[in-house]
Amino acid sequence: MKLGQVKEILEAELLVGQENLDLEVEMVCGADLMSDVLAFTKPDSLLLTGLTHPQVINTAEIAEIKAVCFVRGKRPPAETIERAKEEGIPLLCTPLLMYESCGRLYSHDLPGCSQVEEK
Amino acid sequence: MTVKEMAERAELEVLVGADGLDVEVTGGYAADLISTVMANAKQDNVWVTWHLHPNIVAAALIVKLSAIILVSGRQPEQETVQRAQQEGMPILGSSLPAFEIIGRLHGMGILGTV
Amino acid sequence: MSGKVQFTRTQELIYEMKVGEVMTHSVVTVKPQTSMNELREVLRSNRISGTPVVSNDRLMGIISIEDFIKWLANGPPKTTVAERMTEAVVTVYDDEPLVQVVSMLDRHGFGRLPVIQRKHKKLVGVITRGDIMEGLLHKLEIGYQQEEIHRYRASHIFEDLIADRTALVFQYRVVGKDFQKAGSGATRLKKTLTRLEIHPRARRRAAIIAYEAEMNIVIYTNGGNIMAKVEPGLITIKAQDNGPGIADVELAFTPGYSTAADWVRELGFGAGMGLCNIKECADETTLDSVVGKGTRLEATIII
Repeated sequence: MKLGQVKEILEAELLVGQENLDLEVEMVCGADLMSDVLAFTKPDSLLLTGLTHPQVINTAEIAEIKAVCFVRGKRPPAETIERAKEEGIPLLCTPLLMYESCGRLYSHDLPGCSQVEEK
Repeated sequence: MTVKEMAERAELEVLVGADGLDVEVTGGYAADLISTVMANAKQDNVWVTWHLHPNIVAAALIVKLSAIILVSGRQPEQETVQRAQQEGMPILGSSLPAFEIIGRLHGMGILGTV
Repeated sequence: MSGKVQFTRTQELIYEMKVGEVMTHSVVTVKPQTSMNELREVLRSNRISGTPVVSNDRLMGIISIEDFIKWLANGPPKTTVAERMTEAVVTVYDDEPLVQVVSMLDRHGFGRLPVIQRKHKKLVGVITRGDIMEGLLHKLEIGYQQEEIHRYRASHIFEDLIADRTALVFQYRVVGKDFQKAGSGATRLKKTLTRLEIHPRARRRAAIIAYEAEMNIVIYTNGGNIMAKVEPGLITIKAQDNGPGIADVELAFTPGYSTAADWVRELGFGAGMGLCNIKECADETTLDSVVGKGTRLEATIII
């Protein structure tokens, strides 16, 4: 699914990566625990998280996450936005809670990480 | 839908509290920050979480949740199991990641708060 | 590099680069009171077809060879530049993107535009199509050269070094308790492995190991370092610190076991998964720890 479509479904705002709305995300991981992200996500996922500190971007970079969406309407601090620009990782921000965000994307046929074979 | 029906339909394993599954589920909540659960979850919601810490039982009791669902095959800590048994708070589990469990529950009509 | 990629980069550059970066700085100018006779000499000797008219660094107008020819045909002999120049001059600011100039040159059919510094409204240069072309080519060439350096490093280093056994070692210092800087070692290691064109899966596993190890050092100790050794077919990651040590190493590898403080948990770390993740990602893991002395972790990945 294209990032632009994710943005529509989640009623999200794009914070970083205006030029990346055509980017394809293959699957979704929803997590607030960074170790969980590192353990279970596969490359090219969209990460939904309630955390906004810059370590989220480091985690995304290490785990080769394609884009990050902050849930619960939480806006990231400036350092997080800077890091995301540096690493070229698009950031979205949705007012929806984690549960609702996951539910909506799943109902639009986006798979989770256990449903997709790693390339 | 009761916790029991939900567990069967979503293929969740009952880890603790098999005798407390007749509660009606009002909706779902997911997050790992215990403070946000207390602020945002509604009574008799199910809580999808990654945490294994005994504190999750305490938080679930305060908000009067109907059940805790652990994701990614995580097993609760010993103390968490004891607390949950004492307090009659069901803990369910699944090997699936949070996104997929939530997706299934959402698809079954267990919605989140918007 | 394909033609398409190059083209996109050029498009990006005309948005990114500013007028000030490519304009010609040393501009020949004349004063309003310069006579048309003197102008002839200025244009001839500098081989230019027009020039800005400046008084006290302020742009007053522009005078071209066309104005000069018209004056030759019918003007009175003692005429100053001020009398024949065009006063309403189209200018650009030095901080505007090149794309602005390109469209203005197109729209007005001008060959050149005077460049004004926004703050002091002084004339600081002139920009022509030639300047833009030259500036773009220069930038693309730098980019191309950097690309070439990376490619060289990436694809040839192991073949080019002559030895029975070759290993590259990278070391990253980790500052304890500094949550802001945490992860910089692992992210830099990952970039390095990308340049070496290590297989993406091995690269990702190495990066996760380094990151979890780095976070452990940040959370539990006052600092340490991460070392990565890359050999053909093998990556070894060593993390060491002089922190408090781990009392029960076996217990530490139990999923969910953690001694992390609440603030660490609230940040999404310290959930007792770090060492498990490391073990999962490595082909072999050893952990040596002495309470009160420190911890040494070694993980190997077979590529």
